[in-house]
Amino acid sequence: MNRNIKSTTLCFLAIGFLVLNGCKKDPLKNLSNDDSRIYISNYDSAANFASYKTFSISDSALVIQDNHFLGRVLGTYETNVISQLKQIMQQRGYTLVDSSAKPDLAINISEVINTQTTIFSYDDYWDSYGYYYDPGYYGYPGYGYYSPYSYGSYTVASAALEVDLLDLKNATADGNKITAIWVGLARGEDVFNNNNVTTEISTLFAQSPYLKSN
Amino acid sequence: MKSLSKFIIVITVVLFANNSVKAQNGLEMNVNYNVGLPTAGSKDYVTKPSFRGFTGSLDYAITSQLRVGLGIGFNDYYQKYPRQVYNGSDGAISAVLSNSIQQTPLIAHINYTITKTGFIRPYVGAGAGVNFISFDQYLGEFDNPSTKAKAIVQGEAGVFIPVSRYSSTAVKIGGTYNFAPFNEFGTSNLNSWGVQAGIRFPLH
Repeated sequence: MNRNIKSTTLCFLAIGFLVLNGCKKDPLKNLSNDDSRIYISNYDSAANFASYKTFSISDSALVIQDNHFLGRVLGTYETNVISQLKQIMQQRGYTLVDSSAKPDLAINISEVINTQTTIFSYDDYWDSYGYYYDPGYYGYPGYGYYSPYSYGSYTVASAALEVDLLDLKNATADGNKITAIWVGLARGEDVFNNNNVTTEISTLFAQSPYLKSN
Repeated sequence: MKSLSKFIIVITVVLFANNSVKAQNGLEMNVNYNVGLPTAGSKDYVTKPSFRGFTGSLDYAITSQLRVGLGIGFNDYYQKYPRQVYNGSDGAISAVLSNSIQQTPLIAHINYTITKTGFIRPYVGAGAGVNFISFDQYLGEFDNPSTKAKAIVQGEAGVFIPVSRYSSTAVKIGGTYNFAPFNEFGTSNLNSWGVQAGIRFPLH
């Protein structure tokens, strides 16, 4: 009798676990591509955004795939991103100037792609930032970059648009350190689709109302 | 859910093949469809009921009224929230948020049928065990899965409706309240009500 109870109990538990495996609803199947995207903005709470008046913007986007720098790209998508950023920054009261005109702020644009389903961290992105972007482009050769942000790791293949707002105005006073005072990140499906540029940039700025010069 | 339905159909066929078995002490099986209703701390994550659930138990009838046994359950809770901005101390995230919670309690329980005779026989019961919880919160398509094993205490009440005078086979309609401490991700518990309907039948 005891043996019967034991074997019946084991069968009962095995059937139970098998049945429940098929009963979970997969949240990813209930997401559209728009739903899949997230927009993250971080800012330096010590920064006074109204103290900056001018900005310059990178003339192309960097492509970083699986922690490797692939080069610069300027297609329709990147052109529209740059255009949107220029427009919205000017709406926020900043004046666009050439990179040689000692701007208060610099904007860099990166496309970060992870094709591997392994642990990936944006910390690597910042570790190599000085290699990706030559500080001399904005007139600060020999300076280092600093970012207080970390996005953590994830384990799925993904793509991200990263927009970095860099403080050039206080770089020398900060000990030859160029600090990222605002970082915007759009991640998810179809992130590099030209039709999504306006949504991506406007969402990042809409959730950053402090980012204005006046 | 299709596999769950098939399972219930198979069990029902087995049940009616067992109608000749007389009511007696011995092993019995309970299989129930279960609707989970989140309450208390569970509502921090999901407010919608779970229609994806079942419970089952393997019981030993010590007497015609008193049973002890081992039960297993499952409920899948899921809710998607529209896109909104979540503000932090130094930033913000705009995302569609989805919460997915699966609870699989494994419970040792005791059940007492209040009346020996009658068309409807009320019962009460109580149990305690381990609650295996799979908790996954998605921001967009990015998730942060976590699996925990926590204690669970359960109270139950309902009625058995015997299908035959000569068998312990009965339809079961009842409810449970599940005290499910969690203390993770900002909530103290994943308590829930369970409303269930199913069948009890003897095993050879």
